[in-house]
Amino acid sequence: MKILVCIKQVPDMESKFKIAASGTWYDSADLAWRMNEYDEYAVEQAVQLKEQVKEADLTVLCIGSERVKETMKKALAMGCDRGAHVADDDCAGKEPYEIAAIIAEYAKDKGFDLIFTGMQSQDRGSAQVGVLAAEMLGIPSISTIVTFSYADGRIEVKRELEGGVKALLKTRTPALVTCQLGLNTPRYPTLPNIMKAKKKELISLPVADLLKVEARMETVKMYFPEKKGGGLVLEGDPGQLADKLIQILKEKTGVLA
Amino acid sequence: MNFELTEEQRLIRDMVRSFAEKELAPSARERDEEERFDRQLMFASLAELGLTGIVFAEQYGGAGADYISYAIAVEELSRVCASTGVTLSAHLSLGANPINLFGTEEQKQTFLVPLATGEKMGAFGLTEPSAGSDAGGTRTSAVRDGDGWIVNGTKIFITNAGEADIYIVFARTDKNAEKHHGISAFIIEKGTPGFSFGKKEKKMGIRSSPTMELIFDACRIPAANLLGSEGQGFAVAMKTLDGGRIGIASQALGIAQGALDIAVKYARERVQFGSAISRFQGVQFQLADMATQTEAARLMVYQAAYRASNGLPYSQQSAMAKLMASETAMKVTTQAVQILGGYGYTRDFPVERMMRDAKITEIYEGTSEIQRLVIGTALTR
Repeated sequence: MKILVCIKQVPDMESKFKIAASGTWYDSADLAWRMNEYDEYAVEQAVQLKEQVKEADLTVLCIGSERVKETMKKALAMGCDRGAHVADDDCAGKEPYEIAAIIAEYAKDKGFDLIFTGMQSQDRGSAQVGVLAAEMLGIPSISTIVTFSYADGRIEVKRELEGGVKALLKTRTPALVTCQLGLNTPRYPTLPNIMKAKKKELISLPVADLLKVEARMETVKMYFPEKKGGGLVLEGDPGQLADKLIQILKEKTGVLA
Repeated sequence: MNFELTEEQRLIRDMVRSFAEKELAPSARERDEEERFDRQLMFASLAELGLTGIVFAEQYGGAGADYISYAIAVEELSRVCASTGVTLSAHLSLGANPINLFGTEEQKQTFLVPLATGEKMGAFGLTEPSAGSDAGGTRTSAVRDGDGWIVNGTKIFITNAGEADIYIVFARTDKNAEKHHGISAFIIEKGTPGFSFGKKEKKMGIRSSPTMELIFDACRIPAANLLGSEGQGFAVAMKTLDGGRIGIASQALGIAQGALDIAVKYARERVQFGSAISRFQGVQFQLADMATQTEAARLMVYQAAYRASNGLPYSQQSAMAKLMASETAMKVTTQAVQILGGYGYTRDFPVERMMRDAKITEIYEGTSEIQRLVIGTALTR
């Protein structure tokens, strides 16, 4: 079986973000980087599948600068067999359609039975890349999975829907799934596996060889929302205050019908 | 010269940090209050992560990583839970490393392999009521008896005692030799007849780490358990402690960093006189000093670890690192409590625990005074 897992390196979300000079993305200086949280679940599920079927080859793919290789090493230490790094210093400037096209171009003709991606990235959050890539490859995709099982060329997954509802779906491989938080418990890369990861194959491919589409949309502006004015301070004696509060709750909220 | 961690060291740091924050932090306060050691959490999980044999060769069950990786692991554990930090340090530096350094191939296969893989836990018995800083005062005795030794005596303040499976114990084998020459090191397994545990200490800090007495009452051990040659014990102890100091220095560094992180976060959130207290220069200057001292300690600890990994002499550097890091931990945790004020003094915030934990780093594995003695003697020799 051949498995592909696609990951992204994102900033630590507790970082203090600044808008870059371009005005269309955040400034990447002075940030700490880590694996997109959703992708950790994707890697873990891919490794579990490999462990289940025994005979499997698991590739991790990541697009970005040299810096993303460190995150790829983590995926290799978690159990991926080999890495495919798409060297691109401007992947933040690419829209989801282009990223999906790069993945599809890489994956076509390689015969992957299953492709795992995170449901979305923590920094862009489009949730488009996985499903677009599947469409380009002409294989079924199931998004936002919260359980996964595989047997005899078929997968069975649960999807999480709004309102606490779940849906059970089945499909044949090859297929692509996008992973929701809580799908599994991502393992820690153990120290011996971190040491072994550096010996695993990690090839770099120039993005120009894989990007064969043009962007269809552009980010016009990235900005912090304007700060809203301070809260409303009510004054008066307790009886009046209560009346005013009830009036406001009735008029401005759905708390009191 | 390069001050950057390697990619591998950064991955190890991130892994241990993530483990410490997710798994150790939630119970750190409770374990401290209950003086409870949790073997699964504080040792078995470290073994699963491959931390129990970080620096040992793969052929002996280790991970074959360097001392900087080891220092980082102890630092990150201690940043959240100093008791877990010392559990690893005492196991690896004091329990397992003497066998790595002085053991025969057979002793390494029998004892080092299970220690490195974390199947067994290690400890170190040097201190006695009359032999603390002065190891030459060792009174525990080992007398030849056919093809074995009979050990009698008591060891006190032993970290990991009761829980550990393998103990490195120092005993006087020649009463007539000069004090440092008549001591030998032995490997003694828990469960050996005549070997029992005495009282469990009730401590100020590192309360989740067990500290007990070891009691040897006509305890018979096989000749094969002599570690190093007869009379070499003092050298085994000193060489072991050189490495141990890196572990404790890393523990102290982690405690300091943990307290600093909490103080910075608190100062940015705490509002007094209409503004976050982090905006007050009085608080900023304190935080600046804390951060500067912590970073200085880190450079010294990593330098000592670098030297240990690269076969350079490091006895003096590890003494300096341990002295600097432990005194920094005490200062930084005390200031952190001050910045948190009344809240810092309560058990609702971890800084009071960190302040209690920091104190021991100035005492064990060579007091600050002994470190100064080691450094001073080397300077004026």
